[in-house]
Amino acid sequence: MINKTQFAYEPGEHEAESASHSYIMSLIAIIAGVPLPILNLIATLIFYLGNRKSTYFVRWHCTQALLSQLSMLFINSYGFWWTISIIFTDEKITNHYISYMVAIVVFNLIEFITTIYTAIQVGKGKHVSWWFYGTLTNMICKP
Amino acid sequence: MKKLLFQGAIIIIVFLCSWFCFTQINWVKIFHVQQLTDETEKKLGDVLLDVVLKSEDEIKTPQVNNAIDSIVNHICIKNNIDRGQIKIHVVEKDEINAFAMPNGHLIVYSGLIQNSENQEELTGVLCHEIAHIQLNHVMKKLLSEMGLSVLITLSSGNGSPIIIKEALKKLSSLTYERGLEKEADLKAVDYMIKANVNPSSFANFLFRQSLNENESSKYLQWASSHPDSKDRSVYINEYTKNKSIKSVSVLSVKGWEDLKKEFVQ
Repeated sequence: MINKTQFAYEPGEHEAESASHSYIMSLIAIIAGVPLPILNLIATLIFYLGNRKSTYFVRWHCTQALLSQLSMLFINSYGFWWTISIIFTDEKITNHYISYMVAIVVFNLIEFITTIYTAIQVGKGKHVSWWFYGTLTNMICKP
Repeated sequence: MKKLLFQGAIIIIVFLCSWFCFTQINWVKIFHVQQLTDETEKKLGDVLLDVVLKSEDEIKTPQVNNAIDSIVNHICIKNNIDRGQIKIHVVEKDEINAFAMPNGHLIVYSGLIQNSENQEELTGVLCHEIAHIQLNHVMKKLLSEMGLSVLITLSSGNGSPIIIKEALKKLSSLTYERGLEKEADLKAVDYMIKANVNPSSFANFLFRQSLNENESSKYLQWASSHPDSKDRSVYINEYTKNKSIKSVSVLSVKGWEDLKKEFVQ
């Protein structure tokens, strides 16, 4: 799921702190953003845009944080609008709905814990690459 | 790129699999989620119908039932509506009223038949109530007015007589939201056009009722529970303006006269 690897260079203390903040930003936004899944994406995007001219290490981790938020946005939004349709239309609460909500809670929890762990490790200057998101970030973010 | 697609696919598969696995658990039972099922609606309809038929006399003369059945059958056949879903009960009461109840029960007061100037007017009101049934307005409205728990209690037969009467009162004088009312009106017009019944008679009926709305007559229940009859007659006429309408009488002139004679006091 997550992989600690050697980065292209040894990041400085300030760089590590900035990179770590990109994950912390998404965590704060997750808390503030519930139940609106778009807010954490916007917060991470703002942080990403603010750091797009920063060093490679910071950019890389801002991109990974942003991409992870983007995919969570899709599954969270689906759950959000499903809930809205139950509240405001004659859509019923079904086993499928509750199962979906449980699944997204589990996935968000995994993402939340992974984000905390990554923020700590990146803050220490270690490079943490996530399954899929790390690969995608490598393709998008170039030195 | 292949690695990326593979990893992405794995994440999606893991998510879908976990969703599928969670569906194997009966969450609805665990969380005691109360649901309105067809069975609930059926029982609720039976409980309410029972109360209506205990307090009012149902007319079961063949002349009346055959005539009303002919009209309803004609509407249902021309509009592909399951006729078995609509259960008509003509009740002896002077109020100009008809209302839909859960499970497709449609109560028609004799006052409505007496005060319809022609069969098209009666057909219009019946189409309007059938539209409420087909669009599931009855349960939607009851749900929002009374709440799920009350409806489930009522359907179990354990509701207090006061609550049952309250539910019935809400149904017989049920004012749907303007949007639902308009939706049922336009659906009724569509039913009438497909059944080759001129909807302008329905608009005329509404207009006539609107003239009497301010008199607060106790006999004008259908009009008072369906406000803005004048507006409704206007938008019905507007809606039908450019539509080609054929006019066919479901009942013969004699059949309609015989039906009216049944209610001459």
